[in-house]
Amino acid sequence: MRIYLFGYLDDDFYGRVVLTPAEHTVADLAQQLVSWAPVTCRGALFVTNEAGAVLDPAATLDAAGLRNGDIFTVATAGEE
Amino acid sequence: MAILRDEWLDLARKVDWEFRYVDDRDVFPEELSGSPWLPRSAWKDWNESYRTSYREYVANQRAKDESVRSVRDALDKVRLVEGLDRGWLQLVKFHNGAFVLAEYAAVPSELRMARFGRDAAWRTMATLGALDEIRHTQVQLLVGHDLLRLDENFDWTHRAYHTNEWVMIAARHLFDDMFVAASAIDTAIQLNFVFETGFTNLQFMALAAMADKADHHAFEKALASIQTDESRHAQIGHPVLRTLIENGGKDRAQFLVDKMWWRCWRAFLATTGTAMEYLTPLRARDRSFKEFMQEWVVDQFVKNLEEFELDRPWFWDLFLEEIEFAHHSLQLGMYLYRTTLWFDEPVPDAAERQWLQSNYPHWEEVYGPMWDRFDRAWEAEGEAGTIAYALPALCNLCQLPTVFLRPGRNTACTLERDGRKYLFCSEPCRWIFEREPERFADHRSVVDRIVAGQAPGKLIDLHEWMGLGASDHKGKDLRRGLEPWRFVPVPKG
Ligand SMILES: [Fe+2]
Ligand SMILES: [Fe+2]
Ligand SMILES: [Zn+2]
Repeated sequence: MRIYLFGYLDDDFYGRVVLTPAEHTVADLAQQLVSWAPVTCRGALFVTNEAGAVLDPAATLDAAGLRNGDIFTVATAGEE
Repeated sequence: MAILRDEWLDLARKVDWEFRYVDDRDVFPEELSGSPWLPRSAWKDWNESYRTSYREYVANQRAKDESVRSVRDALDKVRLVEGLDRGWLQLVKFHNGAFVLAEYAAVPSELRMARFGRDAAWRTMATLGALDEIRHTQVQLLVGHDLLRLDENFDWTHRAYHTNEWVMIAARHLFDDMFVAASAIDTAIQLNFVFETGFTNLQFMALAAMADKADHHAFEKALASIQTDESRHAQIGHPVLRTLIENGGKDRAQFLVDKMWWRCWRAFLATTGTAMEYLTPLRARDRSFKEFMQEWVVDQFVKNLEEFELDRPWFWDLFLEEIEFAHHSLQLGMYLYRTTLWFDEPVPDAAERQWLQSNYPHWEEVYGPMWDRFDRAWEAEGEAGTIAYALPALCNLCQLPTVFLRPGRNTACTLERDGRKYLFCSEPCRWIFEREPERFADHRSVVDRIVAGQAPGKLIDLHEWMGLGASDHKGKDLRRGLEPWRFVPVPKG
């Protein structure tokens, strides 16, 4: 099942709509958002939910509690 | 023997009568007249300072129209438009689409007050207000029409309001809330007090001053003449607000003021803020948007609040923080999504960047690298590398993209209601929604419509859905134009 989320890259300037299968992992989600960004991100990516909790990269989106219309933020360790 | 003006005027404009066979509550139902519903006696001291008679009104308006027309007629058709700065033309196109038909939408709202306003002088003033708004529509349609010879997209002066273009959905959402779907009292406070007393100076006087320096005199005269009307009928707001406050309606008044202040701020940073600082030629800028906001809007508004012993809106600190950044962030989004606009957007050049930096001490550090990326992408990949393909997340209240206040400072938040999740650009937008959820909950943003299958998800089809079908009608990079491949028809199917 596909869900839609609102993704924010930590040092960017706006949020993007992300349509993604709920079975994907949190790490996949981070990659999907970063691939749209105008910068190349390096190093580890941290995904947090709206409450600010860091999500397990190996968890599925469903297991991580991300549902339709939720916000997530990807923080990058650095950029090129 | 002639009767002197002062002897008949007050009697005439306050003419009113009591009903023997029907109750005031039936003549002025609360849904249309507004809340709180006060007894007739509460309104008896309603007054405003212009006290214009109909005869004076007709004479004045005729002179105003003539002054606009004489400037237009003094220039021959070619000189009327030739030599105008290209960025400036985009600003006019933007202004025309976003505002001109909203003036027309304000006509029935003024008429609603002319019928359901609770005092005769208020109704008199609103009748003139309705006539004003018809004039504002017509004079600006004329300016737009003159520019059609230069650029056929000036038909968006009339068209924009009837499309599903996303800026226009945001504009309609605002104006519907402000006056189209508002009672007489709510209209007086939201439209006359907050929008017209608070903000339209900026749109009409500041832009008129810039139009003068940009040598666009027909536009300048039209704007300046409109503002003289606005400042008259905006006077409706003060006595309505005063009556409310003196009769136990202070909480309601404070809510309407706070809500509309935030909504107007959102609208003006998106339109005036971006247009003043990215589309106006440097020679025409004598002040920054931030300075205009401070001097013409904020100081005046704070004075007004003090006069009524109202508090500053609870989000005041956030608002002050935004003045420095928010319109610059939104401008990046407008550029990135320029193919969904009906006007063109530039990448600021070196001189413009210097101007931005001198007016906003953080500009180069915060926004410089982002614009550099666009320049690099143009060199490396051409136009395709400078356009966004993901959908922007839109606020379910203001309908604008949820841009960060500034890069690294995200204010977006959500709310769940009846099984649906709503997204907001900021706490104040969420707060407005939460106060009257039944008013806003059923509306769908462009993104909601795409997700629900009510609008096409493919960008090319979405353009068509927004009324931007033809390649050369979509916004483009102001200085680089369109790449030739854009003119190759897209195969259907
Ligand atoms: Fe107007
Ligand atoms: Fe008006
Ligand atoms: Zn918003």
